[in-house]
Amino acid sequence: MRNYLKLDATMRCDVLIIGAGGAALRCAAEILEQKPNANVVALTKVSHPQKSHTSTAQGGLAAVDPKDPLDSTLFHMFDTWKGSDCTADQNVVKKICESAWEQILWLENRGMHFSRDPQGRLSKRTFGGHTRNFGEASVHRAVFEADRTGKGIMDTGWGETLKRGITFINQCLAVELLIKNGACSGCIVFRQKEGTFVKILAKATIFASGGSGQVFQVTTNCRQNTGDGLALVLQSGLPVMDPEAVQFHPTGIVGPGILASETLRSVGGILRNAAFEPFMVNYAPKMKELAPRDLVARAIESEIREGRGVMNPDHNIPHVWIDLRHLPAEVHEKQIPEVSSFFKRYVNLDPKTDLCPVRPSNHYHMGGIPTNEYGEVEDASQNIIEGLYAIGECAAASFHGFNRLGTNSILELITMGKLVADRVVAAIEKGPSHNPESDGKRFIERFSGYLQAGKKDSLGLIRSSLRRIMTENVSVFRTEKGIEEAIQILSELKVRAENTALAGRSLAMNQELVQRWELDNLLAVSMVICQAALDRKESRGAHFRDDYPDRKDEYNHHTLISMIDFGITESGRREVDMSIFKAGGEQHEKFAIIERKY
Amino acid sequence: MMESFYDITLNVHRYDPDTDKRWIDTYQVKAGRIMRFVDVLRKVNDEQDATLAWGSSCEHGQCGSCSMKINGKPLLSCELLVENAVHYFDTTTFTIEPLDVAPVIRDLVIDTDKAYGRVDKVKPYIIKPKPLGEKGEEHQISPEELERYVDATRCINCFCCASACISSHHNFLGPNAMLAAIVRVMDPREQEKQSRFDTLYSENGIYRCHSSQACSFVCPKEIDVAHFIALAKNGEIKPA
Ligand SMILES: Cc1cc2nc3c(=O)[nH]c(=O)nc-3n(C[C@H](O)[C@H](O)[C@H](O)COP(=O)(O)OP(=O)(O)OC[C@H]3O[C@@H](n4cnc5c(N)ncnc54)[C@H](O)[C@@H]3O)c2cc1C
Ligand code: SF4
Ligand code: SF4
Repeated sequence: MRNYLKLDATMRCDVLIIGAGGAALRCAAEILEQKPNANVVALTKVSHPQKSHTSTAQGGLAAVDPKDPLDSTLFHMFDTWKGSDCTADQNVVKKICESAWEQILWLENRGMHFSRDPQGRLSKRTFGGHTRNFGEASVHRAVFEADRTGKGIMDTGWGETLKRGITFINQCLAVELLIKNGACSGCIVFRQKEGTFVKILAKATIFASGGSGQVFQVTTNCRQNTGDGLALVLQSGLPVMDPEAVQFHPTGIVGPGILASETLRSVGGILRNAAFEPFMVNYAPKMKELAPRDLVARAIESEIREGRGVMNPDHNIPHVWIDLRHLPAEVHEKQIPEVSSFFKRYVNLDPKTDLCPVRPSNHYHMGGIPTNEYGEVEDASQNIIEGLYAIGECAAASFHGFNRLGTNSILELITMGKLVADRVVAAIEKGPSHNPESDGKRFIERFSGYLQAGKKDSLGLIRSSLRRIMTENVSVFRTEKGIEEAIQILSELKVRAENTALAGRSLAMNQELVQRWELDNLLAVSMVICQAALDRKESRGAHFRDDYPDRKDEYNHHTLISMIDFGITESGRREVDMSIFKAGGEQHEKFAIIERKY
Repeated sequence: MMESFYDITLNVHRYDPDTDKRWIDTYQVKAGRIMRFVDVLRKVNDEQDATLAWGSSCEHGQCGSCSMKINGKPLLSCELLVENAVHYFDTTTFTIEPLDVAPVIRDLVIDTDKAYGRVDKVKPYIIKPKPLGEKGEEHQISPEELERYVDATRCINCFCCASACISSHHNFLGPNAMLAAIVRVMDPREQEKQSRFDTLYSENGIYRCHSSQACSFVCPKEIDVAHFIALAKNGEIKPA
């Protein structure tokens, strides 16, 4: 078959942002505020920036109000360090926590509709892990916009960038990074609507491409979260950091995986198995349903594995029940109205009278593209890749280590977005980029391969098999045997995918073609998750090895993993930054390697 | 015992940009009762026709990407369960069309950029922000004041209202664009009000609205869009 793919055009800009979610928009707005004439281009896979995943974040964002006499930035830093199971980088933790409130005021002054207290000031609430005096008592640290905090950030960021003349290219995929001699000159993109490939050259390229939740069968993440950023980096021979650090929420609604908040358990919801037995008492006799997230998730998964789960026939997904029937009507109406409405809307059940199906749902990827504290991307030897940055969920600086605290992610978007903007503005002011241009030809081979494959199969079914094995073997419980089996299956699926013929060969808005490309990304990301999880023979934060249930000091480091060829990986390590501890200031001992116990 | 599966028929409007051809394809699907229409479309892709194009993102009613017309009603297909659709429309046959608020790119996917162009026109941001307090502290907006317009801030730009609206989008910026403008008129942090009134009362503005309330009826976020437009018509949107 004739090789008919070609580069259709070349474009130049100052700054290219791969993504238009919360991190991307905050960064773009800052660049444009500081440098109004900058030519900033932001790409999104979705039909409009507002459709990005950040729009679904509900709960809030953590930030210590300097006016609050009870709370302090140091406490926020401690909670983050402890929550991370001592694997966050303290230089990053310090930077983010210290700049948090300033960024809240930025949002407030650009029109975000924060919820208000009776005095008309920003209202605050508490979340799991928000404490004062190093774990002594809970504090109100999260500001929020009702249950639409992420949407508030998105509307604000979109409005500001629109006002300042950004160029959005929607439904446009970054498909190949242009890297040569340790420097990045931009990327090749695929414009879905037109079906064209365009080379975009930029002085600075910023990854802000979000999470990878579609690796798992049940996830709270959106359909576009296929880990593209990580896959692109791997294809360029660069490493990803801590891919094995994946967070699961204990109660996702079956089958879509929609988040059913912790509140359900805190107001007295009871988890029951197929025989309707309340099982939490067998796992956490004292705390029962109120035990920490990861423990509850493992308890539910154990019930399912040991055959005490229930199979949902419509979605073909096993689950347990959450029983809310005994709660007074007032609790249903006043305390859990939103979640109740989710059950009604998505599974047609009334929590007042029906048992509701839940199971652990993939939620957040702590791991990502390794960067330093300025968001500059690093290679396996920790040299900076000139002109390349990463922020948001796709990046690992690392603020969250092996376990993210609720409300810390969207805080990271706005703080790191701003920090990286400062860095980028300084870099582009230095004048034209001298980063050597690389050709960017791999995409032709890759996409031609997709269009030329000739075997009858179903990409959808291959994707389902991938997501199922990752959920069954590499989610809340991991064992050597299970991970090895997953690696074997992934290799088989890779071969199947390579041979699968597409039903349509058109380039314009060919969703199947895009999904074929995404499948390659899912396969690559799954593979490095597996390899890293296999190598880490301990349990830490969200990474739980059934065969090595304890944390071990010999693993007090980040994983760096590169992929030489599919399934052939190379591992390295990066030290955890402990600068707060080492500085020896007041209370520095709280930032030593401590136990994560609540 | 309720049915656990339904045999449903989908008549889907197709469009191929390469040949500029339009046609209707019929798919028979055995669908679980609590499958959502996005799940059903995915099943069609996986098992019958991988070429059928449609859009979605968050798939739980927060992003507004999966809007389409099902049996004539503009709605979010991630929020429609098969069982509810069968009861609501009293049939197991469903006609699925793209929203008619922008040109179709392929099948059920429309050119959202074009639809958003009308929202961009009303400047969905603060043009001239009131400075922060003396010590750089946040503004004071009482919960009561926020309450007056907070519902209008909940819009996700799914364009269902614009599709249902009887006034044509060729000369009306649309109900959701009106909401975006009204929000910043009512927001005490916005100092630039006049140009906003100019947009609202322009020939593409609220006087194009015939008060049919179709927008409020279809809004998946249950925002009473027509109420806000009526407030604007009556000059009742000035900040308190
Ligand atoms: C249901 C839910 C609730 C949550 N609630 C909270 C909360 O209360 N508090 C909190 O702190 N965190 C919360 N989180 C986590 C948080 O929302 C995310 O981590 C965060 O929004 C990620 O933002 P981002 O900017 O990195 O990426 P995203 O918002 O996901 O944006 C990524 C962007 O990149 C684009 N993109 C991706 N790949 C490509 C490509 N190949 N080419 C071009 N563009 C691309 C996408 O289209 C999108 O525009 C929640 C998450 C979920 C799922
Ligand atoms: S009330 Fe006005 S804006 Fe709403 S649908 Fe009717 S004509 Fe359109
Ligand atoms: S007002 Fe409602 S129907 Fe209209 S775009 Fe907004 S959310 Fe959609």
